[in-house]
Amino acid sequence: MNKLVLWGILITAAMLGFTYMAVGGSKGGLNNDIINILTIAAAVVLVIVTVFVVIKYVRQMQTDTATGELADENWDGIGEYKNELPMGWAILFLILNIWAIWYMLMGYPVNAYSQIGEYNEDTKAHNAKFEAKYASITGDALVDMGESVFLAECKVCHGLTADGIDGKAANLNQRLEEKSVKHVVENGSNFLGFPAPMPDRNGLFNMNTGALITDAEIAAVSQYVANGMKGEGAEIFTGTCAACHGADGKGMEMVAPNIATFDIATVKAVLDHGKKGAIGVMPSFDRLNEKQKEAVGAYISSISK
Amino acid sequence: MFHWLEKNPFFFAVAVFLTISFAGLIEILPNFAQASSPTVGTKPYSTLELTGRHVYIKNSCNACHSQLVRPFKSETDRYGNYSLSGEYAYDRPFLWGSKRTGPDLHRVGNYRTTDWHENHMWNPAEVVPGSIMPAYRWMFVNEADVDTAYAEQVTINNVFNVPYNKPVPMKDGSTETVVLADTLEGAHAAALAEAKIIAADMKNQDVKDAIASGKIPEIVALIAYMNRLK
Repeated sequence: MNKLVLWGILITAAMLGFTYMAVGGSKGGLNNDIINILTIAAAVVLVIVTVFVVIKYVRQMQTDTATGELADENWDGIGEYKNELPMGWAILFLILNIWAIWYMLMGYPVNAYSQIGEYNEDTKAHNAKFEAKYASITGDALVDMGESVFLAECKVCHGLTADGIDGKAANLNQRLEEKSVKHVVENGSNFLGFPAPMPDRNGLFNMNTGALITDAEIAAVSQYVANGMKGEGAEIFTGTCAACHGADGKGMEMVAPNIATFDIATVKAVLDHGKKGAIGVMPSFDRLNEKQKEAVGAYISSISK
Repeated sequence: MFHWLEKNPFFFAVAVFLTISFAGLIEILPNFAQASSPTVGTKPYSTLELTGRHVYIKNSCNACHSQLVRPFKSETDRYGNYSLSGEYAYDRPFLWGSKRTGPDLHRVGNYRTTDWHENHMWNPAEVVPGSIMPAYRWMFVNEADVDTAYAEQVTINNVFNVPYNKPVPMKDGSTETVVLADTLEGAHAAALAEAKIIAADMKNQDVKDAIASGKIPEIVALIAYMNRLK
């Protein structure tokens, strides 16, 4: 037994001793825990293997001499042998090549970070959360949501109290203003996506008189509708408008909108299609999702008389 | 060849530089070319729109308003889809801005209308309570400078090959052609025709009178530009 092996045994003993002091001597020791036992066993094996591998190479350095056929090249007196490629190295090199091809074709293109990718994930997660949280929102909660959407998106034109800021936009506290009704009766309308457009005054007959609607009748019926379907003009409404908008003015599905009160379907139609009326143009609001549009409809229905 | 390079460090360095530059270029250039070419739906500015853009620049709107929607949920909720570099293909200079004292305007044409702009530019605080934006009433009086806009159009048409008078693909699959007039008089007539459509939605009597007498107030040009930002 030479000096090197003696050193090895000494160091092994010392390291195992430290290990014992650190683990075996601590309170509770291994505690019969399988993980603790495996860990300590691995530590012992590692110590022994490391020490003897180191011994092998130290001895090799001490005793080995270089052998083999020298290559033709030498650089300032430093030469290299024509050795076979070590097998382990060659295998690792091949694996690296395969990984590089995968990374180039799959790994990087599929997994690489992109700002847009992160945005898409954020949006997807947010939408999923929104759907889950508000899937069955109704009643006051829906109105509250509508109010917050209104304050973010609609108040810029319609004003904080939805009064239309002195006629700059529609006053949403009432269904229709007289001039809006008049404008639609005179010019017709096809803004809300119904299959058949509403004709202009040249297509509106008063069935009571059997003639085209007259200026006086337009004025009367506009006042009647703007008044919340009250006052004079009821018979003109019945004769001219009721066929599509219903006797009570509440509209018919797929035919004409509700002109007596705001309801969710009407508001949604305006948000989807935008509008051009007596006051000006309202753009469509595609960026609101369906639930938000419904909420705005509920809010406007709740504030209008 | 490699032996020679290995014995000449200077030329070795040059060769390394060339190799890496080439690799960099073929990675960067195709993406760059694709990203900077106009997106489908981006068309050159018409004479009136470009006049309005000059009004925008003249009044330093870009000092308070950006024109760049970043890809964050909070931004796209408020302003619409995030901006793509190809959308700025015909912007010379770009007006991204660097500070938002007011809101972003890159897609303002989607959610504000002619009559809203008219009310707002006349008295911002009346439409947006608490707004610190100043009123821009002189725009309702000052005449817009169509000549400069037409000169710019002719220049970018000749120098940068901006596709005036050529069909430009739109998002719905159709094509649109932005006309560049042959003469300055033609450009004035085209701008006035466009201005009449916008002024029809406006209420200010001075503006209507000016348009009727063949003049274009700055506000009409600016609104044409705002409405086009989508």
